[in-house]
Amino acid sequence: MSDMSEDLQTNRLKELKETALPCFQCGVCSSSCPVFRVSPELNPRVSVDSIISRGKVPSEGNEWLCAYCLMCDQRCPMGVSLAEILMVIKNISAKEGQAPPDVIESAESLMADGCQSPISSRSEKQREDMGLPKLPRADPEDVKMLFRATGAAEVLELNRSTSGEASE
Amino acid sequence: MKFAFFPGCTMAYRLPFAEKSIRMVVPHFDVELVDLAFTCCPEPNTVRALSDDTWITLAARNIALAEAEGLNILTACAGCHESLSLAKHELDENPDRKNKVNELLKDLGLEYKGTSTIVHVHQLLFDEIGIESISSKVVRPVPIKVVTHTGCHLLRPERVLHVDNAEVPVKLDMLCESLGMVPLEYMDKTMCCGAGVRKINSVTSYAILREKMTSIAMVEPNAIVVFCPTCFITFESGQRVANRIFGTDFKIPVFYYTELLAIALNLPETDILLAEHRVKIELPTSTETKEENKTETKDSIPSSP
Ligand code: SF4
Ligand code: SF4
Repeated sequence: MSDMSEDLQTNRLKELKETALPCFQCGVCSSSCPVFRVSPELNPRVSVDSIISRGKVPSEGNEWLCAYCLMCDQRCPMGVSLAEILMVIKNISAKEGQAPPDVIESAESLMADGCQSPISSRSEKQREDMGLPKLPRADPEDVKMLFRATGAAEVLELNRSTSGEASE
Repeated sequence: MKFAFFPGCTMAYRLPFAEKSIRMVVPHFDVELVDLAFTCCPEPNTVRALSDDTWITLAARNIALAEAEGLNILTACAGCHESLSLAKHELDENPDRKNKVNELLKDLGLEYKGTSTIVHVHQLLFDEIGIESISSKVVRPVPIKVVTHTGCHLLRPERVLHVDNAEVPVKLDMLCESLGMVPLEYMDKTMCCGAGVRKINSVTSYAILREKMTSIAMVEPNAIVVFCPTCFITFESGQRVANRIFGTDFKIPVFYYTELLAIALNLPETDILLAEHRVKIELPTSTETKEENKTETKDSIPSSP
């Protein structure tokens, strides 16, 4: 990674800390979080504390457990949005090759098909049988171009190689 | 009214009967739909999580396609609605980002201007058409007890979406009432269905669904009414998975709202919608008129002493 993008990363982390600073550890986010209710390894209050004090989530990969339901964002009395903070952390983690395989798979499908899950001929047929129109599709080259120009193609490439290493 | 229709990948290819129900009902309210070459919205938990810039650029491309036709966008999925609305909000608030995105869209002959609005079918029906106009068209009321789940991504972030009150959503209940249903309150009404983490950790995802379903089952509804294809699939197919994992016994039918609207309007072909449901329900096949039904409800209200 170039120095410039590392600087960018450090700056983003600094910004994140600042948005988290108003937190006074009331725990409303944790008591509202559906994931925490069933899987205590994602504890929103502790996550915010850890982001402020250590600049990262309590344990590696925690950010990916967030369902982005925005309950924490809705209820925080201090206007801290853990959901948005974790979204930025996911972006950073993906740039480090740590994105979960299923997320990569969906994004690959979008790049190829313009749609998150591959469009099967069966579902096309089902639409036809129901009298639904054939939907116009985006030019795949346009989608690829946008993926390349905005960084996602690179992130996908990187995660493909790291997940390849992991499975070897 | 004419809209660029944005069914979204999930509805178009996994829940076509819900899309069918929208296309069936809107002409009765003088709404015309146009199909454009949209991509996935794109979905926040995958594309946006990987690259925020890619997310906003693809969303801007979708919106720009509608703008080029001079149309507002009609969304059908809560996820698409949130994704496009958040992207629009960000682009309208942040000129630097808009310019950056437009640099890329220029190569595709497109420009994001900010002229089209993003409207969900929920808003079209409640805010634009209104429940009076809907109930005036009901010829076959659907007298069942339901719980509604508006969905995280129609309610939050409230500061951007303004679909309903994020803590106490009531509009979908009122829409159900206008078709003759009895909406029930339940404890975890604004809680997530669990779909957001299914790809990352499926047991966590189904455990969230189990919690939500437990809260729903307590009030014993005949059906769950949703306004999002992803929530639909999570509730309908997910119940069985949750039952398998946790030994629960959930079996509650699920509807996308416009399916029930099509039934209440007594449109032909509604049986092809219901045939696709995995948890079946016997809807009253009565040909009872609205008047009869009204008297019935009146009679059932206990007179106060
Ligand atoms: S709700 Fe807000 S203030 Fe309270 S613990 Fe969570 S982030 Fe901190
Ligand atoms: S957005 Fe994530 S952290 Fe916040 S309440 Fe929802 S699942 Fe929990």
